Amino acid sequence: MAVVGARRPTPYGEAVAERLATDLAAAGVVVVSGLALGVDAAAHEGALIGGGCTVAVLGSGVDVIYPAANAGLARRLLDAGGAILSQFPDGTVPRAANFPRRNWIIAALADLVVVVEAAEGSGALITADAALHLGKQVMAVPGSVFSALSVGCHQLLRDGAGLVQNARDVLADLSSPGEVLDDPLAAPERFRIAEPADGSRDPLLRHLDDSLPGDPGVLARKLGLPFGDLIARLTRLELEGRVVRRGAGYVKVHGRGTSREESE
Amino acid sequence: MLATVLTSLVRGLEARPVEVQVDISSGVAGFFLVGLASGSVREAKERARAAIRNSGLRFPQRRLTVNLAPAELRKDGSGLDLAIAVGICLAALGLKAPGDAAFLGELSLDGTLRHVDGVLVAARGLPGQGVTDLVVPACDAAEAALGEAIRVLPAPNLASVVSHLRGEAPLAPYAGSLPEAQSPAPELDLAEIHGQEAARRALEVAAAGGHHLLMWGPPGAGKTMLARCLPGLLPPLTLAEALEVAEVRSVLGELPPGCPLDWRRPFRAPHHSMSLAGLVGGGSGMARPGEISRAGHGVLFLDELAEFEPATVQALRQPLEQGRVFLTRSAGSVAFPARFQLVAATNPCPCGWSGDGRRACRCTRAALETYRRALSGPLLDRVDLQVNVPRTPLEALGGEPSGESSSTVRERVLAARSLQLKRQGMLNASLRAAHLRCWAPLRPAARRGLERWATEAALTARGFHRAWRVARTLADLEAAAEVEERHVMEALGYRLAEHAG
Repeated sequence: MAVVGARRPTPYGEAVAERLATDLAAAGVVVVSGLALGVDAAAHEGALIGGGCTVAVLGSGVDVIYPAANAGLARRLLDAGGAILSQFPDGTVPRAANFPRRNWIIAALADLVVVVEAAEGSGALITADAALHLGKQVMAVPGSVFSALSVGCHQLLRDGAGLVQNARDVLADLSSPGEVLDDPLAAPERFRIAEPADGSRDPLLRHLDDSLPGDPGVLARKLGLPFGDLIARLTRLELEGRVVRRGAGYVKVHGRGTSREESE
Repeated sequence: MLATVLTSLVRGLEARPVEVQVDISSGVAGFFLVGLASGSVREAKERARAAIRNSGLRFPQRRLTVNLAPAELRKDGSGLDLAIAVGICLAALGLKAPGDAAFLGELSLDGTLRHVDGVLVAARGLPGQGVTDLVVPACDAAEAALGEAIRVLPAPNLASVVSHLRGEAPLAPYAGSLPEAQSPAPELDLAEIHGQEAARRALEVAAAGGHHLLMWGPPGAGKTMLARCLPGLLPPLTLAEALEVAEVRSVLGELPPGCPLDWRRPFRAPHHSMSLAGLVGGGSGMARPGEISRAGHGVLFLDELAEFEPATVQALRQPLEQGRVFLTRSAGSVAFPARFQLVAATNPCPCGWSGDGRRACRCTRAALETYRRALSGPLLDRVDLQVNVPRTPLEALGGEPSGESSSTVRERVLAARSLQLKRQGMLNASLRAAHLRCWAPLRPAARRGLERWATEAALTARGFHRAWRVARTLADLEAAAEVEERHVMEALGYRLAEHAG
């Protein structure tokens, strides 16, 4: 199964990719991806956490790990019994033209392609397209309707791609008899926030989204807070690891605890 | 027959006295000019000869030697014309020049006096050299009169100066008085800005503590407009500051005649194609002040910071640290004041859409890294406040802007600035580590917060002190004696996100 998506995902997309890959790998599925930053890396990472075996298909020669930031991941992937493949001869440098061709190989290797966060016209959609041409299944993970990174996935869903909420959705489609671990999809360990000992939580978090950056100016106006006080509180939350900065805005870090309370 | 006349040359913002010694002796008629005179001063020979004849005076047909002392000082410019012509006339008439009067002015061939640059610098510097009277072209009188310690004698032409010296028709001293201090209306009011709470707050803090500011946002977000609001948040110039600003403009010949003193804070926005010499000062021969000196006591706005030549940007470091810039050229070294507040703006990435949320950024990670690297480094280490300026949604532009006006914000700024000056004699932006420990004590919770952040975000020592300085200003805006935890947290919020996407 292939898990592909944006190179610069939201924390939400990264969490989904990692969790999904973990659960699938634990169920015995081989996760194929492209060793790119973002969703690809999270998928490989998740597969390793799930104790599975994962395959990276490169747009360069197998001896040229790109991006270099993922060299460590590539090493661990091989140690865990995975594989690094490429259609290009050794020493080929990563060129933009290589990647669409690489995406075809990913699609060809997988029985099913799951797209996690893809902007319009992105490489992940090329992979999905290739999969359809090759007669493979395509599924997509929905995202926030405000996010530019959801546009591609939602387009796929509209066009009839399967909806992915958790590993079971994927496994059902693969009709593989594996055991699914979690339902609904739970955030992976490193995205989970430890609740403060006194149980106090800044109510500010309720006003923040986990994919669309919240503009502090708009928030201050909405809550009637002086701007400086709001920045101080957001920075405190940032220090506690509950929010991260995204450009001008703040995004809530995805955690099981928070999403539970939110849905209640 | 010998006559000695005083005049002056401008070196940087300093007036150097020059003695014009004229000797007329018998011999073959000739005109010799000595004393390291450059091309523009040698031309004075022709101007002086014609002007003297056309003023109805007699040009001596004898051996004429003019020496410009001190001889080791290189002379240039046309400001010595008047003194040379006066010296020749006095020597021919057998008169002595008054020892306490200096003469400045360029001559036309008909004897009329023309404007020269740097009159204000001479008027302020010469009293210290024992000069009490300054004869200047009539059009420069208002400018010269700003140097209060000197009697300004405006003269329309050479003939009137000579008859003044012969005692026939004394020149009337300039009667204008120093202009009153004013609080000019801001060029652009904060009330006209829609939204942009982060940038507004950052401007207020920058104005209150004298901090340098970097704005980071997509094209069209209003970064230039915001920067233009900053001068209006600062207190008006003091007399000493206004005079220094006027001196720089005087040297450049940019002072408008008649109304030389401008109380507005300068705002300079050089384009990113500007050369290094244009920005920090320079030029061939004698260095002239650059944009950083013109922005003295005001705001230097560098839009598209990443597009400036790296060498140009790095040249700002020394002036930022010292408040002066030292320039060496073939004709000598000079120092110009350069105490400016830096406001820089940049797009978040080459395509401009990174972090916008509504449209995806198309830049590769490598391109982003290169762009960031152009912006990082030693200059940004000196910028205390860094803030994101998102694009204002178009639908918000239709309504009435709802923020505070510049005058409201300025009241808070003035109160915070006077607290700082009373406590430490300087603005918070100038506080160094030792000062901070003394003048910006941290509450225990504030110290814990700052230290925890420093550990987790791997803050550099500079970053640590930047946040501390800004926190001090935030406390001053609330008139708090000690820096609280919330001040530290807010200060830490004014830095760029590591993740733009």
